[in-house]
Amino acid sequence: MDIGVLRRDGRTDPFFDGTAAGRLVVRRCEACDRWFAPDASGCPGCGEEELGWAEASGAATLVTWTILPKEPPAFLALVELAEGPWLHARLDGVERADLREGLALRAAFEHPDEGESYVLFRPWTERGSVR
Amino acid sequence: MGTSIVGLGMTELGRVYGRSPRRLAADAVRLAAADAGLALGDLDGLLVSHGMGGSPGIELADTLGLRDLRLLALVNSYGATAGAMVSYAAMSVLNGSATTVACVFADAPLKPEQSAGSAYNRSSREWYGFGGMTAALGLRSVNSHYALAAQRHMARYGTTSEQLGAIAVATRAWASGNPLAQMREPITIEDHQASRWVSEPLHLLDCCLVSNGAIAVIVTSAGRARDLARPPVHLWGWGQGHPGHRKERGSDFGLATGAAASGAAAMKMAGITTADVDVCELYDCYTYTVLVTLEDYGFCAKGEGGAFAASGALGPGGSLPTNTGGGQLSAYYMWGMTPLSEAVIQARGDGGQRQAPSTDVILVSGNGGILDHHSTLVVSPHEKGA
Repeated sequence: MDIGVLRRDGRTDPFFDGTAAGRLVVRRCEACDRWFAPDASGCPGCGEEELGWAEASGAATLVTWTILPKEPPAFLALVELAEGPWLHARLDGVERADLREGLALRAAFEHPDEGESYVLFRPWTERGSVR
Repeated sequence: MGTSIVGLGMTELGRVYGRSPRRLAADAVRLAAADAGLALGDLDGLLVSHGMGGSPGIELADTLGLRDLRLLALVNSYGATAGAMVSYAAMSVLNGSATTVACVFADAPLKPEQSAGSAYNRSSREWYGFGGMTAALGLRSVNSHYALAAQRHMARYGTTSEQLGAIAVATRAWASGNPLAQMREPITIEDHQASRWVSEPLHLLDCCLVSNGAIAVIVTSAGRARDLARPPVHLWGWGQGHPGHRKERGSDFGLATGAAASGAAAMKMAGITTADVDVCELYDCYTYTVLVTLEDYGFCAKGEGGAFAASGALGPGGSLPTNTGGGQLSAYYMWGMTPLSEAVIQARGDGGQRQAPSTDVILVSGNGGILDHHSTLVVSPHEKGA
């Protein structure tokens, strides 16, 4: 499935600076010790509208998934970061038989020739990436 | 004092072109007033809801030449809006701030020469920002978001695609008796299984239609309703549920919805339990939505919606006739006005070939966003307590 070209829009610089460097940078409210997805617009705990940015570990687990009937099939998912937030994500290196709630995943970074780098999630074990 | 729906106005629905959403909305209000035996000038309230394809707003009052209104608002809780509007109209009548309120939904997302799917889909070569990135990676359609919800239910409770298919088959069986339904040809579980994947685990036959058109209802007091043209449809109860699921650890997304709180509130107000419900008209943007709503309303235990659907309860001859006009899956997609309009038709006994055997208590649902918002109405041909 052709992803197209990703562009910054003024709210995404820390995130795409992170993906370019192979780091998953998401939102964090320091006052509440709470992590959020990178597109979060504020902290519902304290009302802070200017959330900070912080580097997540990149470790995640699979919450749920859907498969688009493309060639090859596109595996889309909700993943739960180790820090708590859920991200809408694209899975890489998985097959149908792998898919289950709680599957361990790890962020992986793609650096296309044109446009911004982005993150995919791959199955992961203690010994490293499954594939 | 009670409140009642006394008028129903439905424009042509489906591939209806050449009329703007505002025009469609105005036509539906006129039809609803005529149906009730009211003049437009009898209306003193107007609540407006719009979909994806343009925005009739409160200027609709001017389009209709309505003057000296005492209630006029644009209401939006997405697919939960129809039930919400009717409850706001009823509360306004009960507290005396208005006497006769029209509630209308209009949409025209379909364009000639365009597929139905593209009306709710995104496509681009360049994508901007976080929303663009999510779309670029493949989440370009509401279908995929509901597929994520349905898959989670399947993984957790063992719900199967065939059980979802049972809902599609039952709904189509009802549609075959509805002259207004866009899809009337009966289908089988095999047809459902063979229909193409839209976003796994959802087949094409798990997904609703896309329609142009408008539907309006008119709400007034039960006392006034007695003198109008058509049999009143009495409002026994209403509720809403907005669970505020956050996308983070611990979320019930896909497993449970606002239907639990909304249904409980509406049934409590109505003084009924699920055992009293004769007919369900449920928001069926997807087969899965019906399944999870039935669970959350308490017609079966959590996780048993699949077995309940597969039991044959929902179709013609079943113990809980559900989506008797063919719903959004097979009849027409007018957001929450699809289940509400069919509830009015059934309560009046106007269902013809598809009339349910008993309609004393009808439960109507609305669902908005990606399972973010829910509304419920309990309606009956009888006055509450009568």
